[in-house]
Amino acid sequence: MEELTASLKRVFGFEKFRTGQAETLHDLEAGQDVLAVLPTGAGKTLIYQLYGYRHPGCVLIVSPLLSLMNDQVDRMRMAGFRRVAAINSLTGRDERQAILRHLKDYQFLFMSPEMLSQPTMLSQLRRVNLSLLVIDEAHCIVQWGPDFRPEYLLLGAIREKLGMPRTLMLTATAGKTTRQEIAHQLRCQPQVVATSVDRPNIFLDVEGVGDGNEKQARLAELVGKLPGPGIVYFSSKQLASDMALWLQSQTGKIVAAYHAGLDSDSRFKIQQQYMAGQLDLICATSAFGMGVDKNDVRYVIHYHLPADMESYAQEIGRAGRDGDPSLAVLLYAPGDEQLPLMLGQANRPTAVTVHEYYARPEAFDDADPGVHLLVFYRNHGISEEAVSRLFTRRERERNRALAQMLSYVREPQCLRQNWLKAFDEHGVHSDKCCAPKAVALDLATLGLRQTTMATGTRNETAWRDQLRQLF
Amino acid sequence: MEAADLIQVLTPQQARRLRVIENLLRGKKTVSTLYWGQRYQLLPLIGLDKTLDRGALDAAAQSLVTGGLATLDEENDQLRLTPAGVIAAQRDYYQPQMADQWIQLDLMAARQRILLAVQVVSEYTHATRRYYPLTTDLVTRQAVRAWFQRVKSAQLGKQILHVLMHALEQLPEEVATVTTSLLTGYQHPGLTREQVAQAHQRTAWEVTLMQLDGLMQICQDARVTETPFTSLLRSLWQSPVTRSAQLTLAAVRQTGDLDQVAAQRRIKLSTVREHLLEAAIFLPLSDFPYGRILTLELCQLFDKNLTGAIDDWQYTNLPNDLQQQYDFFYFRLYAIWIEKGGALVDGRTNSEP
Ligand SMILES: [Zn+2]
Repeated sequence: MEELTASLKRVFGFEKFRTGQAETLHDLEAGQDVLAVLPTGAGKTLIYQLYGYRHPGCVLIVSPLLSLMNDQVDRMRMAGFRRVAAINSLTGRDERQAILRHLKDYQFLFMSPEMLSQPTMLSQLRRVNLSLLVIDEAHCIVQWGPDFRPEYLLLGAIREKLGMPRTLMLTATAGKTTRQEIAHQLRCQPQVVATSVDRPNIFLDVEGVGDGNEKQARLAELVGKLPGPGIVYFSSKQLASDMALWLQSQTGKIVAAYHAGLDSDSRFKIQQQYMAGQLDLICATSAFGMGVDKNDVRYVIHYHLPADMESYAQEIGRAGRDGDPSLAVLLYAPGDEQLPLMLGQANRPTAVTVHEYYARPEAFDDADPGVHLLVFYRNHGISEEAVSRLFTRRERERNRALAQMLSYVREPQCLRQNWLKAFDEHGVHSDKCCAPKAVALDLATLGLRQTTMATGTRNETAWRDQLRQLF
Repeated sequence: MEAADLIQVLTPQQARRLRVIENLLRGKKTVSTLYWGQRYQLLPLIGLDKTLDRGALDAAAQSLVTGGLATLDEENDQLRLTPAGVIAAQRDYYQPQMADQWIQLDLMAARQRILLAVQVVSEYTHATRRYYPLTTDLVTRQAVRAWFQRVKSAQLGKQILHVLMHALEQLPEEVATVTTSLLTGYQHPGLTREQVAQAHQRTAWEVTLMQLDGLMQICQDARVTETPFTSLLRSLWQSPVTRSAQLTLAAVRQTGDLDQVAAQRRIKLSTVREHLLEAAIFLPLSDFPYGRILTLELCQLFDKNLTGAIDDWQYTNLPNDLQQQYDFFYFRLYAIWIEKGGALVDGRTNSEP
């Protein structure tokens, strides 16, 4: 077989691998399952693309976010991979049938966990020669919230039914506990390939505010002063939309909202506008970011407390990929931890409910999201004891994650050290490092530079001229 | 659709069922939805928002009621404008110009194809090798890919530009502007509906209506003269009557006997009747064989027993023996016939073939 670097040159035209890519490929080709913890922008997809190129059969990629999956397929088509398809809930029936008829011909197949957990789909896939199973965004296995996908918990069993194919687990961030949990759920002992999560060019800032009003005012002040482009993360779609309008009117900047409630056309256009430098700011939920290719994001502000350090690391990691000075601000008002607690508990049935449900499942309304989860587990043959254990474990894990997040908020000395400790790393404090809650943020010393914005998009160019520019 | 859009499809005279409007938008072509869609003159809305959730218009309806602009009956379904609602509805609101033509083709598919084709040609004209294509379904991608391979030439960009200019020149400036702002192409991601709505002080739904008129003009132009889009859109022109209903109709024309048609086509009698009602709703008076189904005797009996506004007719109010003799199907078809201008003149029907 040809050298890895030769394949890299042939397929992508690159001379050198980026950190982590070559190690992961070596381990995979040596017959190991691999958990690759590599930061966003490290070129994780290149790993399975190259593997797929070098080995006969099909690479099956399980991906949790629908919008992300379609992005991936588009990018791969753009990069010249033709035999690529995606099956998820957005795939029309005819299209799905067409793909299934030619299943054996695909080199790369993207699938949502829901689709993969359907028995008919599984039996079709068992006839395909899988060269590699990829679990993208593998940390979703341990995340627990309104967006939780119970199907991810079946991946271990699915993997066994598929005959234990070589497996690559990919994630941008995973602390020690998360790594263990991923391995446990997928029933494997992977080789771990990881690089440091630290991003020295991102200045970390935590700011305490008295209440919601003060927080909103401080946000407008920051957005008004900070050079863009930026991202503000909210934990509700409604608030992201409302604040986008409000911030635009308050600051005169060009702002758009992005969340899973938008139709796919709007999501596409807003991502593209942002990448083309036509927007100063995106007000987003956590749905935004994966698949966004933009190096010059100057700041990321969190309006709400993220659920855990991993999500936080992933979201602030979208700032400053060009290596220039950037800023991550977390706004905190007393009591902010109540929201993630509530979101976490909203869909979680109590031990009593679990017991009663298993005793008389027909007495429950499965439209209720909590019950829906139980229906799902029971239909997949998971016992009451196992489900109870699962929920207890989840809750413990969740509380631990939240406590860790709060310890970051309350950190008196060095935010970076606190952050890196969550990933079993050590950091060194310096004057360009951080401003904990008690320390005021001095924007002037940060050296943030304004990125030049593309102009002319909102100046109402007459439609005739706009058409001429298109062709 | 928000409250400001919903108010535009309501009237003070006719109570309109919210479920019917919702089902029209969602593209649910049950006979009942089609019949009432026709009574409300809202058939062009059919299938314009297939991803609309059930109950998605409830909040808009409720806000009209709370604002005193409309009333809802006890079942929370029949909406009617109040005098205040009539005044509120008189704002400057975009009235589609080409709505009657929308149902002559699969307009949603046409939209997907045109938008992707514009992007592909725009990027091709600028020799871009890598870009993010619009997310569309497989059929659209395949159709546009095959089309592009067929028509690709150095002149294509110029030709498409000319076609778009020519179509949009025929429309109001605002419609041309809106349609153009929504396009995606080289270094031009395009604006979202909400962004356009904000810029033009319109609702997002009005923006959609304008875009559909803009695209419809492009489709029409491609139909009457040969443009690069002609072959891209050819397969999308269709009668609003489904294929199976057309077959049933043809069989009825030949035999006139519904039971025989059912046996011959191996479908249930009730299905034959549904097909006929569907066809009658969409076709003009002269294109449907009313005389084969509605006998003179039937028309005379119904004429005597059904008076007042069509919407107030109730099958269950007919005398029992008439209900025994004629199924609901005849009652409904008779109403459609009257609505389309059918009448008894000197003891004979005016639509005798
Ligand atoms: Zn520090």
